[in-house]
Order: sequence, then structure tokens, then C-alpha cells
Amino acid sequence: MQRIFLVLVLIGVLQANAQDNRRYNPAGMLSLGGRSTVSLFNDHENEMTGTGVGGQFRLRFSDAVNTEWFFDYITSDILNYAHRTDYHIGWSVLFYPINNLYYFLQEEEFKPKFRPYILAGHCFDYSKIEAKVSPLDGPMSAERWSSAVQAGLGTHLELSPRFDISLTGQYMIHLGNHIETDYNFSTGTISFKELKGASLAGHVLVTLSLNYKIAKLWGFTRR
Amino acid sequence: MGIHQKIIGLFLLTSSLVYSQETPWSHWANQSSYFKPSLLRASATIAPTRFYTQQTTIALINGFVEYVLENRISVRGEANIMAPNGKLLYTNSPEKFPRNFTSIYAGFGYHLGKRNWKFDLHAEPGIAISEMAQPFLIFPIAYQWSISPSYMLKGGTSFYFSKYCHFFAEINYSNGWIRKTPLTSVSLAQYGISAGLGFHVITKKN
Repeated sequence: MQRIFLVLVLIGVLQANAQDNRRYNPAGMLSLGGRSTVSLFNDHENEMTGTGVGGQFRLRFSDAVNTEWFFDYITSDILNYAHRTDYHIGWSVLFYPINNLYYFLQEEEFKPKFRPYILAGHCFDYSKIEAKVSPLDGPMSAERWSSAVQAGLGTHLELSPRFDISLTGQYMIHLGNHIETDYNFSTGTISFKELKGASLAGHVLVTLSLNYKIAKLWGFTRR
Repeated sequence: MGIHQKIIGLFLLTSSLVYSQETPWSHWANQSSYFKPSLLRASATIAPTRFYTQQTTIALINGFVEYVLENRISVRGEANIMAPNGKLLYTNSPEKFPRNFTSIYAGFGYHLGKRNWKFDLHAEPGIAISEMAQPFLIFPIAYQWSISPSYMLKGGTSFYFSKYCHFFAEINYSNGWIRKTPLTSVSLAQYGISAGLGFHVITKKN
């Protein structure tokens, strides 16, 4: 038992020494960015590809772990009889499998490089479906709040030490209430059904974002 | 002709040849670069824009503000507003699309080139705020405003010829969809050009 304890202490001391010798620690880095999103393979019947816009900030916790906090506004068509609007607000954890320190540190002139990551997270979602042609007494629509989880892969293309372009592909599964649309093609009438309870409905989100590191909230940079 | 006159003549000829080696723009190459981090630039111009899926050309008023963060990286915001009474370029007749149009973008730029002549690339997510013209339906329907997700890609060149002024010329492509229509959604796919005189200032010393 004592040997195990000694080994653990030694590992801890060695790691502490390794930290001391470092000139740069990415923890605490805050970046800000804008993003465009395409929503594909939507589970809603007859829903077509959606397009969206949003913003995000990233807060990094260590060499291997970053977090992304985002907002998206996405619109899509349900054939030509309704359209859907989604607001996503949520967060993801980014894990960098290639977190070798020497990969990040560049003593000489900076060269652009890719940094792949795996991400997973959670978001809240507000959805509204509106009929294209509403009766004269007012618009016809249905709406819901739900929660969602998402996971996927992506990569940063770091064009400078502070600036990166990121491409992410992820699958988002919505949990909770569900809206179904019934459209009668012969009469042109539409109706909405709101189904209570858990049901799974998802879509693929492909996001291109532009990000700039604006501040280092904690940690150190030695020159 | 004496020897002194010949020497003076040769000297004048040589000096004129030396002077002729200097092209009218060569002094710009010797100047220090005006484009550097902390440069803030802005301009406004008229930008003819073609909504090519709608066979419609309109005049937009384009304005932008850009701040250079690093040697090659900048952050930029811009807006396009449909020019009122833009009859010169306005071919939206009969009025079908759109009745009013404004777009707002914010993104980053990447700048190539040396010294004062730059090639610029921009990618900017944004929104398009538009009011559709009244559709030709059998029953009357109100004009509808909508906010649509959009993006703009832009490429161009800029020439910084003085401490405070530069010329720029850009082409752009942007896209989006107006979903809030009584019929099929309307594409906002468009390309346009803009050019003019811009103004800049270095906001930080050293």
C-alpha cells in the first residue's frame, strides 16, 4: 500500500514539475465566434433542409478539453405547406484526442494546422411550425419547448494562434414533446397534433464557425 | 563644345535617365505599410445586386466597418439596405420581390498580399430582413416581414494609398431563404459588386 502511495506521489510530483516547465497553458482561453448551420435529414415528415445562423463562445479548461456555448436560429420548409423555426441554446464539450503539447507549441513561425475533436453536449430547443397559408382569422401554428442531446466530430483549422475556422458534423436528438403535421393534399387543409411525452426526433447539423480568442481568464503564459 | 559643357551635358542626361527609372508609383512601394494591426476602416457605397433566381436587380446601399486584429486577420460588420427610389438599377417591376430588404452580417476577413495592396477574403454569417411584395392570390393577404438566416462570402482587393484613404473593389455572394410566404419559399441567392473610396485610421501606436 505504501509503495502504491509513493508511486502516486512521485507521478504527482513529476506532473507538477512538467507543468512548471511549460511556457504556455491553454486553460482559461475565451474565444468568440459566429456560425452558419445546415440542418439535414430532419425526422419531421416532409421537412426539408434547413439553414441557420448563430453565435458562440468557447471556454477552454485544459489541453484536451474545451467547451462551446452556442445559440442557433434555424429555419426550414415542410414541403410548401408549412415552415419551421428552431431556436437552439446549449453547450458542448470538445475533446481533442491529439493533445500532444509539441503539436500545439510552435517555437518558429506559425503554420496553419488542423486540430480534430470529438464533441458531445446538451441544448434547449424552441420550435414553431406555421402553416404557409393561414385562415383569415389569424396565423395557424404549433410550438413546443424541448431538450436535446448532441454528439459528433469536427476540426479546427487554425489560421493564426488566435483565429480558427471550425467545421462540425453532429447528430442532435430531441427529447420530449413532439409536433406532428397532417396535410391533406386533396383539400389543402393542415392540422397540427401535439404529442406529449418522450419521443425521439433528430437531425444532422453541419456547422461552419469562425472564432477568435479574445481573452485568457486564468492560467499563465510565460515568455 | 568644351569639356565642361560635355560633362554637364552627360550629368544632366544621366540624372534624367536615373529619374526615368522611377515609375510614377514606385514611391508607394517604398512607403511603410498602412495596413497593420489596429487599423480601423470603414466606407459606404452603392452596390448593384442581382437576385439571380428571381431575375431581379436592385441597388443596395452597402456600409461596412472593419478592424484589423492581426497582420492577416480582421473582424468586420456590414449592412446592406435597399436603396430608396433606386430606379437607375431597379428592375423589380412588376414588383414581386422583395418590397423591402436589409441584411446585416458580421464575420472575419483574411488578407493576403504585401504592403499596401491587399487581396481580401471574408466569410460573414448574418440575417436578412425582408418584406415580401403582395402575392397574386385570389384573396388579399398582408405584406409580411420576416427575418431569415443568411451568410455572405466576399472577395476583393484594397489599395491603401495614403495615411487615411484607400480604394476597394469587392464581389460578393450571399444566400438565404424567406420561408414566411404563402407559396413556396423564396431564395435570396444573390451576387453583387461594390467599390469605392474607403477611410481608415491606425488606432494604436506601435
